Amino acid sequence: MLTFGFWEPVIVIAAINVILICGLYITALSGALSMATAAFAGVGGYVSAVLTTNLDWPFVPALAVATVSGAIIGCIVALVTLKMKDFVLKIATLAVGEALSIAAFNIKYVGGANGFSGIPLYTTMTWVLGVAALSIFVAWRVDKSRIGLGARAIRDDMVAAASTGISLRTVRLVTFGIGSALIALGGALLAHYVLIISPSQLGFLYSLNYIVFLLAGGIQTLWGPVLTAILLSGIPELLRFANEYRLIAYGLIIVAVVMWRPEGLITRSRRSAKGNAAAKPDRGAAAPAKA
Amino acid sequence: MDIFLQQIMNGAVIGSTYAVVAVGFALVFIVLRVVNFAHPEIFMLGMFSGLWAALHISDNLAVVLVAGAIGAGLGGLVLERAVIRPLHGRNMLMTLLATLGVSIILQNGMAIITGPDPVPYPTIIPNMSVPLGPVSLTARQLVNFAACIILLITASYYVRGTKYGRATRAVAERPDVAAAFGVNVSLISLITVVFASLMAGIAAVSVGLLYGSAWAFVGLLYGLKAFIILLVAGNRYFEGVVFVAIALGIIEALITGYVSSGMRDVVTFTLLIGVLYFRPNGVFGSYNA
Repeated sequence: MLTFGFWEPVIVIAAINVILICGLYITALSGALSMATAAFAGVGGYVSAVLTTNLDWPFVPALAVATVSGAIIGCIVALVTLKMKDFVLKIATLAVGEALSIAAFNIKYVGGANGFSGIPLYTTMTWVLGVAALSIFVAWRVDKSRIGLGARAIRDDMVAAASTGISLRTVRLVTFGIGSALIALGGALLAHYVLIISPSQLGFLYSLNYIVFLLAGGIQTLWGPVLTAILLSGIPELLRFANEYRLIAYGLIIVAVVMWRPEGLITRSRRSAKGNAAAKPDRGAAAPAKA
Repeated sequence: MDIFLQQIMNGAVIGSTYAVVAVGFALVFIVLRVVNFAHPEIFMLGMFSGLWAALHISDNLAVVLVAGAIGAGLGGLVLERAVIRPLHGRNMLMTLLATLGVSIILQNGMAIITGPDPVPYPTIIPNMSVPLGPVSLTARQLVNFAACIILLITASYYVRGTKYGRATRAVAERPDVAAAFGVNVSLISLITVVFASLMAGIAAVSVGLLYGSAWAFVGLLYGLKAFIILLVAGNRYFEGVVFVAIALGIIEALITGYVSSGMRDVVTFTLLIGVLYFRPNGVFGSYNA
């Protein structure tokens, strides 16, 4: 058993955030940025909590079921939002997240507004580090796979991608399925670490954290978001001595990253970054007229 | 029946504040293509500027309202020049992130100055009720409602009836073409953000007077609502945003009154999903963002 004293909770939370960000990275590969990360994580947490606490399941099968339930929710959301355009899709996922949060709020069986407490402590350092390593491996493999390449093609140009035979449906189902499964797995590990899960944790304000990790790290590489997830989970703890000011520092860091590293902390080589910028004309640049 | 009318009236008062915040949010979104998550915090700045003026300068209603407008307007000015302008032309999500960062800074900064709990507002308007036919409103509700309605009429006149408003609508439609016709897009962007902030500041002071308190985290109550109102209404028509905002206030008041306050947000989000499913561009249509 590994022990790190004071740092243990920090490392565990950072590792769980890495798991979640790997999931979100996969989900966002095809350009469909989900605003329901915290809700997917919450589904995993609630499922695992109910199975272990109310039904006395052992930890591993509960985790497995939580992961599968995440995948199912992800696939459903992928199918529902398949035809939606970029911005509307984001808002639809936001609404899904809020709806799940409200559902948890109103179901007495899972504790309603008070949240679900008394979850057994199963998550250990070994578990989170192992799963985090596994998630990074999965995300890396998906990134390099045919599906991952197809997803990138869809992100850059949906019509061109479709004309070369890439199926939007398959890509979205696979990326949302795998991504949400990882997110739910991370959420389940979190629930078994903090031992309580409440409906507000599923809401948009929590999902926003992961969007910050993803965009501040840069969506072009896997390593950027993973790095920012670790840094931004750790920095508030490092600033613990200046308790009141740490959230302000957090805000300043976000603004600074956006201002000075607009493509995210880690980007691909200059040439391909430029290629990306050219592919997406900015506002004000002559946008193609709607014929 | 009287209770029903009373609930509708109360809802319309709340909805009018939603409308002012949502219209400011919508103006910035339409003209600059920026999702300004700091807008509710500008609202909060106005609320505290008004409070400061009431405590340190004079508790005259006009002075307090003007102070709120100035505080929020300055906030908007700095926000536009320091954060939104340098990010011009970037991905919409990046400006969203930056304004989100600003909003975190403002919320927590104000919480350090004034404490994390609501701060009492001085009583400037006497606490009395004014009968209006079958219903009655308190004097504070009346001031809040009147201030918001006047702001909305002013905004409508500005956008539809003035030279700058015409330029604003041109930029909203096609910034590149507007610039080709000699519109100073940069200036219009600045004016739009400051105008939206001024409106928010005045509304914020009237809300502070209405509830008798100012709170560093008050923006959280209005931010998501403004966003939803904009999406449901679509960003094409100013009046559509106002209509949806007031309708939302009334629906919320009716549900709180007749069902339960827990169901209130369920309805809000059901409305959002329903509208996005059947009319993805909003009830009243949208520009191509």
